[in-house]
Amino acid sequence: MTKRYPDGTVAVDHLDLDVPDGKTMVLVGPSGCGKTTTLRMINRLVDPSAGRILLNGDDIRAQDPSRLRRGIGYVIQQSGLFPHRTVEDNIATVPVLNGWSRAKARARARELLKTVGLDPALAKRYPHQLSGGQQQRVGVARALAADPPVLLMDEPFSAVDPVVRGQLQEQLISLQNELRKTIVLVTHDIEEAIKVGDIVALYHPHGTLAQLGPPERLLGAPADDYVAGFVGFDRGIRRLSFFRTEGLSLSAGPVLPGSATVASAVKTGEPWILVVGGQTELTPRGWVSAERLAGLDGDTRLADVATDSFGHTFTVGDDSLRAALDAAVLSPAGVAIGVDEHGRVAGVATFDQLRAAVQAAQAAQDALDAQDLLDEQVARQGQRPGATR
Amino acid sequence: MMWSWIPANWSQIWELTRQNAFLGIVSPLIGLVISLPLGVVAARWRWFYPPTLVFINVIYAIPSLALFIALIPAFGLTDTTVVIGLTVFSLCVILPNVVEGLRGVPGPVKQAATAMGYGPLRRLVTVELPLATPVIIAGLRVGVVSSVSLASVGQIIGVSSLGYLFIDGEQRDFPTEIYVGLFCVIVLAVVCDLILVGVRRVLTPWASGRNRAAGERPRWVLTQRAPARVT
Repeated sequence: MTKRYPDGTVAVDHLDLDVPDGKTMVLVGPSGCGKTTTLRMINRLVDPSAGRILLNGDDIRAQDPSRLRRGIGYVIQQSGLFPHRTVEDNIATVPVLNGWSRAKARARARELLKTVGLDPALAKRYPHQLSGGQQQRVGVARALAADPPVLLMDEPFSAVDPVVRGQLQEQLISLQNELRKTIVLVTHDIEEAIKVGDIVALYHPHGTLAQLGPPERLLGAPADDYVAGFVGFDRGIRRLSFFRTEGLSLSAGPVLPGSATVASAVKTGEPWILVVGGQTELTPRGWVSAERLAGLDGDTRLADVATDSFGHTFTVGDDSLRAALDAAVLSPAGVAIGVDEHGRVAGVATFDQLRAAVQAAQAAQDALDAQDLLDEQVARQGQRPGATR
Repeated sequence: MMWSWIPANWSQIWELTRQNAFLGIVSPLIGLVISLPLGVVAARWRWFYPPTLVFINVIYAIPSLALFIALIPAFGLTDTTVVIGLTVFSLCVILPNVVEGLRGVPGPVKQAATAMGYGPLRRLVTVELPLATPVIIAGLRVGVVSSVSLASVGQIIGVSSLGYLFIDGEQRDFPTEIYVGLFCVIVLAVVCDLILVGVRRVLTPWASGRNRAAGERPRWVLTQRAPARVT
């Protein structure tokens, strides 16, 4: 589709997007790139100059705009809550428009307050009595009220501080894991796009797409210098967020309990010893260097020796390679500590082991990406009808 | 000051106050009814507003007595003449507030309303007008107070109001009557104003303790205008 304004400005230029059901697509790009216009065309706040938009195979222009919009959730920046309505009545907006009784709509509103992590006691407050983050959550609850299959989010988190933004993003991800809505989210923040998106559509400044694909592919295989520049200089490191640590081989490492003596530690010949004990027998306490042990009496128990902080650990399997690498960088020993779900040391990973895991994961991802690209080319030649659009 | 004059003439004072109140309250209410559709049009089609504003400012500049006299050939020496005149003046202060109130509705709120599936009329009635209410009532307050005060001028063309006490007091060289008239006009204006404050509290519970700012800005502009009107 294309959107050309009367003054000749082309906001969106021959764009062809397919949003898969149940996925989060993030439209990202510099301001004025047409991402918001694209979003607004989906619920007909803006009508395209050319082209069509299909929702479940039906052209949206065949539908009454108000009716169409009631079936599409909408969240905007600074929440756009109605200042003259209580929180519950704000959330109840679309159900009431759809003819629900007020009592039923309010009951639904209270339920949704819990869904978005707010205290139902806030139901009777007015929006201005809430914090920015709470308002934004109410905005999400309002969009979900009529249980629409599609959710449009226009810079939903840009007006809150970074800490709250992080929380809201986390919540969106967990909500989405549960609800499986088809979400189109607009942001200018590439970090947000990479964090919450299943698919990222990165725009050029004038309404064309620079790259479309899963976030790890934007980081790993940017289509051109523009994309590489937009995703930022440490994209290699950030891409590691998408690789789990399952494939990482761990070594048992120089791990000793606090009851062991300095002499036994020295005997291992390791430059750094990881001392464990405390909450469980295998809870990491800290690193101690051979240098420090050399100056101590051999009978001293390791529990009584001052240790250096290990920074943080990573949970084997759950955490990403990025977390593991970070743990290695922060560790005085240059070794990352892998723990199980109970926080017990499962093994340690050296830079060499991390490098091997990173290379293997990247090779596997590159092969997947290549296959995806091939599939897409085949599909494009086959001219398939869009799923959502 | 002859205090005994007051109880002796109580029923006349009361009657004049009642008539003054009628003229002073009905006129701005009619003004409000006319301002709402005009304001909606002016807020939506922006080009409409500047010429309208110039026009109502010109009208507002007409001395009230001159306007009453100009209306006499059509409506005679009746309440209607005074009500029409006062309606026109109150329109001049209420209309800008209706426009400002509607324009003051935050863009994201309007956009959200449309995106939720409100049609234009429903959005106007259930979202925009309620949000504009504090500003509209601020304009109405100025309109009512100035109409209550101006209604006394109607006495000059023979329409009875508290103005009678001024004219009669002056002719008889009896200041007590003038003071009583003045006092009644002021009390009437203050009472009407307080009632409107109460109405606003009831209609806009969401605004209490919070955004006086929403009502304050345009009202300030208008209270600047209102005292300029003296006759």
